[in-house]
Amino acid sequence: MTDSELHPYVELIAREARRPVVTDPAARQRIMAAVRAESPPRRLRFWHRAVQPRAFTISPAVGGLLAAGLVGIGVIAGGLRANRDGQMSAGPLVAAPQLPVSDTVVKFVFAAPNASQVSLVGDFNGWDGEKTKMVRAGKSGMWTVTLPLTAGRHLYAFLVDGTWYADPTEPLAGDDGFGHANSVRIVARGVGL
Amino acid sequence: MIRLVSRRIRSLPAAVAAAVLVVGGALPAIGQDPSDPLSRLDATSRFAVEAIIDSAFAAGLPGAALHSKALEGISKKADTKKIVDAVRKGFLNLKTARATLGGVPDEELIAAAAVLEAGAKPTQLSVFRERKKGRSDLEAFTVWADLMSRGVPLDDASSAISKLWQDGADDMTFHRLWNDVQSDISSGLNPGAALLNRIRESPTRPPKSTPEE
Repeated sequence: MTDSELHPYVELIAREARRPVVTDPAARQRIMAAVRAESPPRRLRFWHRAVQPRAFTISPAVGGLLAAGLVGIGVIAGGLRANRDGQMSAGPLVAAPQLPVSDTVVKFVFAAPNASQVSLVGDFNGWDGEKTKMVRAGKSGMWTVTLPLTAGRHLYAFLVDGTWYADPTEPLAGDDGFGHANSVRIVARGVGL
Repeated sequence: MIRLVSRRIRSLPAAVAAAVLVVGGALPAIGQDPSDPLSRLDATSRFAVEAIIDSAFAAGLPGAALHSKALEGISKKADTKKIVDAVRKGFLNLKTARATLGGVPDEELIAAAAVLEAGAKPTQLSVFRERKKGRSDLEAFTVWADLMSRGVPLDDASSAISKLWQDGADDMTFHRLWNDVQSDISSGLNPGAALLNRIRESPTRPPKSTPEE
């Protein structure tokens, strides 16, 4: 049993539906042009402008300046982060050596009558020859410095005009592996000088 | 007038991508912190040192002591190979000290590693494994390493310090022994003889030293 046998109108409709649709080839282009000509709704205008592809020209000099500016921003941001954290977070997992806060004040003395500069250098100041300068005590030739240290064992040496010396008044730590000797100062808690 | 040749960049994303590439290329240079002393090592040595320090931390060892050793080498303008060797040797000594002594505070572990560095054998260190709660071997280790550094024979130094420790000598006893021996050595006495003389006078006198091995 077919649809036409059910109702003559069904056959009529089916015939119309089977007929190929013939359209004007330029109609689609006309429709799309009309759509593009329509201005977007007010609330979507900014978004429409932002995502609309566009072409622009840029000279190599301007491109270089733009890149340099971005690098500058990165450097400034990195510097601010380093200042805030006290160290670069990308470094090794070791805190930057600082003079420890302690209630134990320790005095170091070294005799070097002819020296022009003496520094105390050790594990408590990151082995930095610039951090703990010793002061000549009058005309005696004795150099001294007093600083707070945490209780425990500390390795150190004196840097006298560029030459390393162990402390003759404290135990030796043995060869440091670099051809010099260090001294050991054991600081008891709350006992210093 | 010099005319710059303009080039056409297709879109804003392309321009941003180009800038990111330029910035990305510059980032490694930005990441180097000039205030980090380890940056004074060449890249290979720095990688080696940091790998050893990381291994120490991972093993529960005081990696900060190894970092300090690297800084010491840099400060003393040592050859980078020597710095890496010193850090590696320090790591091995810390491992040996931990295996010998078990769980002790970090600073005692570092002092024990220094004793090994000075020439003591792990078996000689094992005497210090047994200890009363709260007793520190810091002074004993320090004097021990010093005596070996001054030329006292290894077995004499080890025997004397071990026996004093077992007899319950306190920090003051160890320090007095060091003071007397170094004074005698400075006066011209043979280091080994100086130690034996002073040990005889010690209130907690150990028996006559006998080489362990």
